[in-house]
Amino acid sequence: MSGKRLTAERINELRKEAVRLRLEKKTLKEISDITGLTRPTISDAYKKFLGGGWAAVENRARGAPKGTKVERAGAKNAPLASGGSNKANSVGGGRSPLPYPTPDRDPELWSLEQVEEWLESQGVSVSGRSVARYLERWGLAVSDSPGRAELEAILSHQGIDPGKRALLSGSVRTFSGEQAGESSHGHQLYAQDGRGRLFWVTQRSPFKADDIAAFLEQLAGRFPDAILIFKSPSLENHKVLAPWLNGERALQLVTTPHWQSHDSDSLSFTPDRAASEPAATFKRNPMALTHLQRLEAESIQIMREVVAETENPVMLYSIGKDSAVMLHLAMKAFSPSIPPFPLLHVDTTWKFQEMYKFRKRMADETGMKLLVHVNEEGRAQGINPFTHGSAIHTDIMKTEALKQALDKYGFDAAFGGARRDEEKSRAKERIFSFRTAQHRWDPKNQRPEIWKLFNARKHRGESIRVFPLSNWTELDIWQYIHLEQIPIVPLYYSAERPVVERDGTLIMVDDDRMPLNPGEVPMMKKVRFRTLGCYPLTGAVESEADTLPDIIQEMLLTKTSERQGRMIDHDSSASMEKKKQEGYF
Amino acid sequence: MSHQSELIAEDINEYLAQHEHKSLLRFITCGSVDDGKSTLIGRLLFESKMLFEDQLAAVEADSRKWGTQGEDMDFALLVDGLAAEREQGITIDVAYRFFSTDRRKFIVADTPGHEQYTRNMVTGASTADAAILMVDARRGILTQTKRHSYLAALIGIRHVVVAINKMDLMDYSEKTFNRIVEDYRVFAKQIGLENITFIPLSALKGDNIITPSERMPWYRGTTLMGYLETVEVDDELMQASPFRMPVQWVNRPNLDFRGFSGQIASGVLRPGDKVRALPSGKESHIDRIYTHDGDLDQAVAGQSVTLTLTDEIDISRGDLISQASEPASVANQFEVTVVWMNDDPMLPGRTYLMKCGTKTVSATLTDIKYQVNVNTLEHTAAKKLELNAIGVCTINLDQNIAFDPYEENHDTGSFILIDRLTYNTMGAGMIHFSLRRSQNITVQHVDVNKQARQELKNQKPCVLWLTGLSGAGKSTIANLVEKKLYARGSHTYLLDGDNVRHGLNKDLGFTDADRVENIRRVAEVAKLMVDAGLIVITAFISPFRSERDMARSLLDANEFVEVYVDTPLEVAEQRDVKGLYRKARKGELKNFTGIDSPYEPPENPECVLNTTEMSAEEAADRVIAFMVDRGYLV
Repeated sequence: MSGKRLTAERINELRKEAVRLRLEKKTLKEISDITGLTRPTISDAYKKFLGGGWAAVENRARGAPKGTKVERAGAKNAPLASGGSNKANSVGGGRSPLPYPTPDRDPELWSLEQVEEWLESQGVSVSGRSVARYLERWGLAVSDSPGRAELEAILSHQGIDPGKRALLSGSVRTFSGEQAGESSHGHQLYAQDGRGRLFWVTQRSPFKADDIAAFLEQLAGRFPDAILIFKSPSLENHKVLAPWLNGERALQLVTTPHWQSHDSDSLSFTPDRAASEPAATFKRNPMALTHLQRLEAESIQIMREVVAETENPVMLYSIGKDSAVMLHLAMKAFSPSIPPFPLLHVDTTWKFQEMYKFRKRMADETGMKLLVHVNEEGRAQGINPFTHGSAIHTDIMKTEALKQALDKYGFDAAFGGARRDEEKSRAKERIFSFRTAQHRWDPKNQRPEIWKLFNARKHRGESIRVFPLSNWTELDIWQYIHLEQIPIVPLYYSAERPVVERDGTLIMVDDDRMPLNPGEVPMMKKVRFRTLGCYPLTGAVESEADTLPDIIQEMLLTKTSERQGRMIDHDSSASMEKKKQEGYF
Repeated sequence: MSHQSELIAEDINEYLAQHEHKSLLRFITCGSVDDGKSTLIGRLLFESKMLFEDQLAAVEADSRKWGTQGEDMDFALLVDGLAAEREQGITIDVAYRFFSTDRRKFIVADTPGHEQYTRNMVTGASTADAAILMVDARRGILTQTKRHSYLAALIGIRHVVVAINKMDLMDYSEKTFNRIVEDYRVFAKQIGLENITFIPLSALKGDNIITPSERMPWYRGTTLMGYLETVEVDDELMQASPFRMPVQWVNRPNLDFRGFSGQIASGVLRPGDKVRALPSGKESHIDRIYTHDGDLDQAVAGQSVTLTLTDEIDISRGDLISQASEPASVANQFEVTVVWMNDDPMLPGRTYLMKCGTKTVSATLTDIKYQVNVNTLEHTAAKKLELNAIGVCTINLDQNIAFDPYEENHDTGSFILIDRLTYNTMGAGMIHFSLRRSQNITVQHVDVNKQARQELKNQKPCVLWLTGLSGAGKSTIANLVEKKLYARGSHTYLLDGDNVRHGLNKDLGFTDADRVENIRRVAEVAKLMVDAGLIVITAFISPFRSERDMARSLLDANEFVEVYVDTPLEVAEQRDVKGLYRKARKGELKNFTGIDSPYEPPENPECVLNTTEMSAEEAADRVIAFMVDRGYLV
């Protein structure tokens, strides 16, 4: 199709033909071959037809012409050079800690030259190439670099003429790397120029609008007449960025949700006449909230009600992804205050080592009090999942331990991260779940939840479990983590890990407490975890997914339910209901 | 929907970008099992590909085993599965299901069961943007269709789809469809239901669910999914209303920051906007719209935010921040519709806790104007509201609250009623309007007040509230106490059954509702007498805790002295001074306390008199000693 210019009428004919073919159950590929339209265009036409009939299929004329669609395969995730890391290790090993990443240390804009200078000031002589290796080790290398053609396509889609101005690309990412033998995590705010030169700042906490403004200020010093195309959700709500976004500053800021121009009609035949036809039938209110915004607002409302109406709330923190989202929401709900309740981790002592590390990191970053409770009786008896089985282990080290902890601290409300979509039988669960003084769940004594009017009153000794994520689905959780860049335990990402196979399940050998069968040798496999619990009870899945989009993609395509990897549910089939009555979530 | 998986496989980033901009629609499905409701929900879940393969495989296996659809997949099996729980006696109010397309995420409230239908449907509908009313094309508009429609109108659901299902069994007949549409329109007009869309469909065969049906070419309207993907969401609608935000929590991390956190109920807010805090009426301007991710230039209905104001004005949880140019109203007496949700009936005169927005106050439903029969829509007189009853009532609060009529704003016009003892949620209510009385009657300022009167009498007025079983000795003791007080020169008055039942309360019998009203009047009279400076002694069985608590709440702290005349039932029955227990045992007296009507002993009475251990004379002395001890007497 490239190079051909089609009239608006012709496109609309094609769109209608595509709908007819779709109704005949042709695949998108077949229709695309016949009509020459792209798949998003076909989908769009078809959806408009479903929403408003044939009249809605006709497209209004578009604005500026589009260049041919840019292939982005080459730009995507260019693999990091791996061979050089040993050498970099030998150069840096054993020396005093590097400034990187020492987030919050210095607001100055970093570049390769500056790292080089700094290394030299530390007595390390390096060439440009090995500086790049340092960056990789520190986790600061950026592999996501769109070409000028892609950037121009994005600008033209937004009706911006770059003229002769320089084009920069940039974004915010989380990094995790290794520095002087220690692992290090944080957030990196970066920009890249046309020659691939990187400029960045790092800090431990996520970047806020003010930080971005400060970064732009510094960047403008180097690039007085440029456009920074910034991969992020819209930043329009942030006052402090308005001058940059509106082009009132010499350095202009343009946001894009991703590098590829995603105009549904980004084919060469888009007419170049100005739009004059009426708008499509479905017009989205620009001030409308997205589903994630509404879910977020609902969860925050629930948390605030609990804090206002109970005396001694606590957040049950399991270190998993749902807990990560819940904690993130709590930070938002009470900011700028620190959430007015502690985190409680009921520790079975059999969690993954990386989970313990992550737990500490989150407590440090949030400034919240972290309580860790272990059933000491159980520990003294040496309860473990290998000899006692998952049912007894869970009952004693988790269910009993939770009750002990709630009694010990006198908590009258506990936030948990359970969701209604986890299981068919959870669909009916309420957001507020009332428990007797003995922590029993009484099915007949639960309250209707009408409007947003939660009734949190209870008698002394009674308590409530509150599930602010009730209406989130697994996909919502992952999307939100992606959108908000919420840190999660690295175990969710695929990596080479030592595993053994037990009853068809891959179990990671996380520490030397794991009894191996005679002659059994753990193998290194590229695996990740879809759900995190006690390592002997949590199955890994073989996977290549080492980025969030890849994880989400894998989740959507795998199509087996989430808890499949959790051995606890295999023990007895109607187990969830029973566990809940006993006090486990 | 099938392009979704292609897109996921080909370009996950594109997919994520699309899905991050989806909106959210909550809807409720109404209908019984026979209407094909479960099949419809199952079909929507299936078509949106939100099912995992292991779940699908299970359903396919189940379909062969249990399914009612021969070779076809029985979609209903996807959503059923609560049967076992029902057998275990677990109450299922509402089950929530989730699915999404590339345009919207959906939360479906599904309300199973017939008996509890009103309560369940009101619960599910209270958060819904839209309702799907299922109609079986073979049977047309039935009583239950009307009931569902009435409830949808009552809860104020703004968008209603009448899904005329099982068209396949009526040969996809346009005539059948038109006839049902005609019938329904006539009915909808009666109940004031607007914005209705009619869709002929077959949930089983998939007609007009996702794709326009080829078997019904005469139908040119939208498909069900097309409707659900485009119908307007309430939050967006509420952006056009004046700004309201109930304050949930005051955020005060340090002396420099004082923020008011809440979820915006309606309107659009920008820094600089003038706002009024209610009920205080103090005004200020918005300084910042604070969020964790940075200040916002504007915030809209549905968002949870934290506001700071330019002036230091006193605002606390329960207050309503509203647009200064169009503020909410303030009142303490309303006409409301109440939906009762508990096995214990609603009794006029009883005091409940009322939670409206983020404010909780004491409320008394004074009279039931009428009850609505949900099947016939007839208005009938009622003395109480049983479980699932809907009534229009007058409600009195112990203080002013800020509100909007429910019709204008669901968040600021709705409330729940909470039992003061069990703390259960008893009912849900919607405010129609404030009663003029409460706006015009201000508290009359008088120069001679309680303080002045009690100084003249040189005593501290109070109520000695004697409670206990019939025959416990309340009247005897009360009489002796009054004599002793009189002898000490105190100004007293004794209220008992004899001087109240024969006059003020002669219209009341002995049903629970009448007992409640009896005590309410006694409490009000006692309050006036305390205001007059008297020491009031009351001697009534007053069996219910909530009424005694209500009486207590009418008076100032320390003005109410609950005296429990503690006599075991056997002893009282043995004494049987008036021969009433004998009659009650024979069944000649109904609703007799201790026999076939409960007595709830006080939990924390100020004074306990155990009549098996002391004589009436000693008991009276004990009361006098108590009053001296606590400073009521000098």
